[in-house]
Amino acid sequence: MTIKRMAFVQELLKFMGLEGRLHLEWISSAEAQKYVEVVTGFTEKIRQMGPNPLRDMARKER
Amino acid sequence: MDCKYVPSVCSYCGTGCGVLFEVIDGKIESTLPLKSHPVNQGKLCIKGWNLHEYINSYMRLKSPLIKENKKFETATWDEAITATAAGLDQVKQTYGPDAIGVLVSAKITNEENFLAQKFTRAAIGTNNVDHCARL
Amino acid sequence: MDIAIKTIINDVQRQLLENQVDIFLGYRKLDGHSIPHGYTRNNLEELSGLCISQNRYPLEKAATRLAQKHPNLKIGLIARDCNQRSLNVLYTWNQLNPDNIKTIGVNCCPSPVKDHGDCSYLEPRTTGPYKQEHGMDFNASPKDLVDTMTSQDRFERWMYEFNKCIKCYGCRNICPVCFCKECSLEHDGLVEPGVLPAEVPVFHLVRATHMAGRCIDCGLCEDTCPAHIPLRLLYREANEIVSGIFNFQPGQDMEKSPFSIIGDTIEAQLTPL
Repeated sequence: MTIKRMAFVQELLKFMGLEGRLHLEWISSAEAQKYVEVVTGFTEKIRQMGPNPLRDMARKER
Repeated sequence: MDCKYVPSVCSYCGTGCGVLFEVIDGKIESTLPLKSHPVNQGKLCIKGWNLHEYINSYMRLKSPLIKENKKFETATWDEAITATAAGLDQVKQTYGPDAIGVLVSAKITNEENFLAQKFTRAAIGTNNVDHCARL
Repeated sequence: MDIAIKTIINDVQRQLLENQVDIFLGYRKLDGHSIPHGYTRNNLEELSGLCISQNRYPLEKAATRLAQKHPNLKIGLIARDCNQRSLNVLYTWNQLNPDNIKTIGVNCCPSPVKDHGDCSYLEPRTTGPYKQEHGMDFNASPKDLVDTMTSQDRFERWMYEFNKCIKCYGCRNICPVCFCKECSLEHDGLVEPGVLPAEVPVFHLVRATHMAGRCIDCGLCEDTCPAHIPLRLLYREANEIVSGIFNFQPGQDMEKSPFSIIGDTIEAQLTPL
């Protein structure tokens, strides 16, 4: 069910123009090393993408 | 068991959008916009969509209430009007007529609005009459 | 038209008298407005006023509410294509029992198959020049949008549209396939209740997620939105995604929505995230 919803939400965000900021990974609590790799990799990818456009809108309204 | 739809006008603001009440078994179940109404053409604001909530609310008054000893007691219409008149009269005697103000409303008829301002100007004797939208 | 109406009136009368239905939901004219009305055996004389309205109302919602109060009630209704699709969706979600519903089909939107159109959707909506420049076109095709506009452009235009929302909940209230007693749009974890303006784009994307596999493209939401937000386009896109991934179209038949089945194995390709 999670995969179904994730696949849907990913496409919907792409339609909206907020693509590429969602990630799904199945990690057991025993796989600590894998967890570290996935999170650091994703954080780096997001940093390269730059801030989310919604953040600028929120800043402007304030 | 029956289901009928009763057209009406929203009682909130002065716009007066057309609404349809869905009445099932004699009780208003929900509110729909009236699509053929020239004012709103099938659209409503959130207050209009929830008209049925206050119609059936348990908090609605069923009789006039007068506060005695910090508690509300039920009263008849005559008692309530007499008490109100006495209260207003007392304020007028103590502080003068300009201490009283009256707000008219978009939800009552033009004739009732005229009556309200006539009451304020002639009976109470003050110019303090304004509209609820300015509140 | 007159003969068609007379046939329908005779049909309804026969169904009521033969106990095939206990109440029939149609329309009648009152003070120049065509409004819905429930015809029962107790008011058969009113049947002569039965008509088919140019304005569409969600009769299926009334049927759902009646079925909740009287579960064994036999309900008949006037059904266009969109009504039939929403009835199918309501059957699969167990809101209505198909054995208790009888429909009388009437003509709807003009198409090569049916040539008399009675529906208020005869003309597609026109999008004015300001909206075309700053917002989203009502009649755009979702696939073209992804191809012809950049991500940034699409985002700005949708945000322009969603920022007009006054959170009237009209889209949810009038939707014939929305029936949840506790709506997510009133859950304080997702959308702060009592706060205006609506939190964009969370409010609309939550609704779009709930419309996935459910929306039958009747267009009542867009008709009733006071801010003219192109909701039909948004939900059409949501359902195109669903039909692309799960090969499911709501309302076509009695298949259950993929989002209602837990524990089945599916093959879904998540594009590298």
